[in-house]
Amino acid sequence: MDLAFLIATMERLLAGVPLTLELSALSISTGAAIAVLFAVLRTSSRVGEWLVRAYVYMLRGTPLLLQIFLIYYGLAQFAAVRESLLWPFLREPFWCALLALTLNTAAYGSEIVRGGLQSVAQGAIDAGRAAGMSRLLLYRRIVLPLALRQALPAYGNEMIAMVKSTSLASIVTLMELSGIAYAVISETYRAFETFLCAGSIYLAINFLIARGIAWAEHRLNPHLRPAA
Amino acid sequence: MDLGGYFTLIGFGPAGWGDQLLAAALMTLAVSASAFFASLAFGLVGAAAKLAPSALLRGLAEAYTTIFRGVPDLLVIYLFYFGGSQALSALGHLFGHAGFLGLNAFMVGTLAVGLVAGAYQTEVIRGAYFAIPPGEIEAARAVGMGRLLMLRRITGPRALRFALPGMGNVWQQVLKESALISVTGLAEILREIHIGAGSTHLPFDFYVTGFFLYLALTTLSGFLFRGAEAWTMRAERRPA
Amino acid sequence: MSTPAAISVRDLHKRFGANEVLKGVSLEAQAGEVIAIIGASGSGKSTLLRCISLLEVPDEGSVAIAGEAISLRTRRGRREPADRAQVNRIRASLGFVFQSFNLWAHMTVLENVIEAPVHVQRRPRREAIAEAEVILKKVGMVEKRHAYPAHLSGGQQQRAAIARALAMRPKALLFDEPTSALDPELVGEVLRVIRSLAEEGRTMLIVTHEMAFAAEVSDRAIFLDAGRIEEEGPPAQVLRDPSSERCRQFLLRYINR
Repeated sequence: MDLAFLIATMERLLAGVPLTLELSALSISTGAAIAVLFAVLRTSSRVGEWLVRAYVYMLRGTPLLLQIFLIYYGLAQFAAVRESLLWPFLREPFWCALLALTLNTAAYGSEIVRGGLQSVAQGAIDAGRAAGMSRLLLYRRIVLPLALRQALPAYGNEMIAMVKSTSLASIVTLMELSGIAYAVISETYRAFETFLCAGSIYLAINFLIARGIAWAEHRLNPHLRPAA
Repeated sequence: MDLGGYFTLIGFGPAGWGDQLLAAALMTLAVSASAFFASLAFGLVGAAAKLAPSALLRGLAEAYTTIFRGVPDLLVIYLFYFGGSQALSALGHLFGHAGFLGLNAFMVGTLAVGLVAGAYQTEVIRGAYFAIPPGEIEAARAVGMGRLLMLRRITGPRALRFALPGMGNVWQQVLKESALISVTGLAEILREIHIGAGSTHLPFDFYVTGFFLYLALTTLSGFLFRGAEAWTMRAERRPA
Repeated sequence: MSTPAAISVRDLHKRFGANEVLKGVSLEAQAGEVIAIIGASGSGKSTLLRCISLLEVPDEGSVAIAGEAISLRTRRGRREPADRAQVNRIRASLGFVFQSFNLWAHMTVLENVIEAPVHVQRRPRREAIAEAEVILKKVGMVEKRHAYPAHLSGGQQQRAAIARALAMRPKALLFDEPTSALDPELVGEVLRVIRSLAEEGRTMLIVTHEMAFAAEVSDRAIFLDAGRIEEEGPPAQVLRDPSSERCRQFLLRYINR
């Protein structure tokens, strides 16, 4: 094991971490907001429910890489797109990848939020209604806080999955962690060492996310800890 | 969008890409199936190791599932694509075989995706094993069943019932991950779509086609797995 | 002109699918009256209470609280409240105590009690906390006010739930089988609290299976059977010597349990 090579490779790879984190953080947060909107849209009307279900079905039933290609390569086919206001964004691999990642995590996230909402005990809702809470107040003070606590572990897994998914951005030329790893491997053909370094960085990021979620769960659930 | 032109494009005529797409779809199914069965093998070994009395085996299995569930599949594919032939040749030299042993794209795909999916299968199988009510195992021992017989008649079938939903998810995962194998040049759906898009300058038409091809495959898989799950749960259905 | 009844229910009908659970129930509770409601499971007792608080919307009939009628309308073949704000206002003036307590799991006892006063009734937080502590002292839960429901016994949770209902300064209290979900040895502490509230002169509707308690605490008793009031009158009559045959049979089943 060539230590010098490992260290040099690590240095090169770490340069890609900011982009990886940027793609992850932006897509996860925006996707989560959209997921909550979808969950609300779902319960609001028959059409709303059908639209969300169709969206989730299509985005979970096809590969993310295809979705990225569809946005990055596919949209460029249309003159209408090329001449639109959005073109400066849609021609950039960063924005295309970000868009695809966000839309994708919104689909998975909406299912997690839905599960969380369904888990809220009917009794807690009844008590809120009996106390005269309006629908908005009920959601804000009772339903969403309880749903969030239930959904947190599953959302933690989704966040880790998204960090891994950002690696696909390298296929549309973005030089995040996997993009640099590919460059190193194709130059040096030392696949195993590069895998070791890049893999460790991803594992470290995911470990931190898992710890963060566990901490959040602990903070939010004093009612699940044994009595003081 | 010119609908008539589109159907000519994907049709089976001389100008159509229909036959290439069909071949690509079959290749996707083939590499996915191959990777899925590999994942079953890895998963069974991993689950057995996790349940073993040996701390070393348990540790190795834990490392396996942590690494291959925490690292992007793309990196694993690169590992086998660039490093697989090296490793295989080195292995061959150990056994006295001179010269180069190559890993073709299909094998790279099978191993890489199979190894990653195997990490998830390990957890599915392990979870299924623990889901079997312990009383049923006790009853089997009480009637004098040996371990192999118990595995064949009780543990196996019961674990299958609990594992099937999870395995259905892994299959869907594998099916979608097969698209990543396109980076190795394997002629599966995404690669063929990409080639078609480049050659005809109609990327949207092709990518949308690919979209619906995958959607058809995942939908069909969903039906089949739900049917299989219903069959394994036939003892739990309430009488009409 | 006499003061309007605290709670006035007229000819209530309620269907769940093909099943008509309330078949024309009318009752009036004057201020300060304690009414016990008894009957078998499925007789419609809980539904009656839930209709008064509009947790269920009656298909026919009317509900009025302190003379204010809850306005309902029919939309797309379904009955619904015509004025959401009125419903919420009226609910906030009624204290509802559930069989399964229904405390909010992510809040402490104190937070549960001040939640509606602060967020629904818009009272200042400091004032709500001060009042909550007085009420919690009354129900014997002030030492546990920072505990979470998951760490409390059933009896403690129900007493906290009663405090939560009292904190809203309700015009009337509705109890839906308050002790049915409790282990026998915890029933007493909750009944004690309810008795003290009755002695204070509060208007209360209590659905219960505790016959002896009902006889002791109520001014009037009602026997509900298959969605209709079969017997109504002073507790000594309804609970000991009813004229309705069905009521007699129901009581026999209870005595012979």
